[in-house]
Amino acid sequence: MDYGLITFSSTHGAICAQKALEPVTRVRVMPVLREISLGCGMALRFPPGDLEAVRQALAASGLQPGEYAFYAITGSGPALRAEPL
Amino acid sequence: MSQIIDAKGKPCPTPVLMAKKAMTEGAEAFTILVDNQTAVENLKRLADNQGFQAAVREEAGAYALDFTKGEGCAACEEAVRSPLPAPGADWAVFVGRDIIGDGDRELGTNLMRMYFYTLTQSEDKPGAVLFMNAGVKLPTLDEQVAEHLKTLSDAGTEILVCGTCLNFYGLSDQLKVGTVSNMYDIVTRMGKAAKVISL
Repeated sequence: MDYGLITFSSTHGAICAQKALEPVTRVRVMPVLREISLGCGMALRFPPGDLEAVRQALAASGLQPGEYAFYAITGSGPALRAEPL
Repeated sequence: MSQIIDAKGKPCPTPVLMAKKAMTEGAEAFTILVDNQTAVENLKRLADNQGFQAAVREEAGAYALDFTKGEGCAACEEAVRSPLPAPGADWAVFVGRDIIGDGDRELGTNLMRMYFYTLTQSEDKPGAVLFMNAGVKLPTLDEQVAEHLKTLSDAGTEILVCGTCLNFYGLSDQLKVGTVSNMYDIVTRMGKAAKVISL
């Protein structure tokens, strides 16, 4: 895994999560990868080593588990792989 | 043996641009390989427009289009030799504000971050990004945008930031990336670019 990615069921959820995660990881906002969804969406990426801290911070936030999903991203361009975590 | 251009897996409109590049470089016969019907149709249309004939062969789920130059006409010759708006042509982004669009600031802030993130991932990066007015808050105060600008700068993109604007907002000592610039440089840089996109 090169980096972790979180997708959200709403843009508001992504913005709330960014605030919740800023204290625990180096979070970066980016568009949802085409490999995951063709729709327009906001996603958050974080360093792979911070997965557990990110999981805990999101669990402690106001977001419900069904409102977000984790992916492991490896490679880039045509070789990019996105696997659900 | 004529040139073979492998455009399989390339998104629209890259196959067309690759074919047009070959034409402008003087190729009179070449074969381009693509893997979808849309690209085939686009390339056939390009051939018609540019005075070429394109014969399509289907091979193992992919398509090979053999381009050969037809009799041609003056208009076609001129079209083929016209300057290319192709990837690699110099272009610039002018940023005059710190959010994208009108409406919610928080959404606009994050759209701006997503825009610059996406630019860092693009193969066709701008030659310059020019910041004025509230746009200067991005290379100074927004950590995410500044990081993306550093990536762009490392890849050769010029980052010019209006010094008058930095002074106005009291941000002169907080520039994280880019060069403090002035109206003369920014206007000159805009004029040099084949296109300028304003945010």
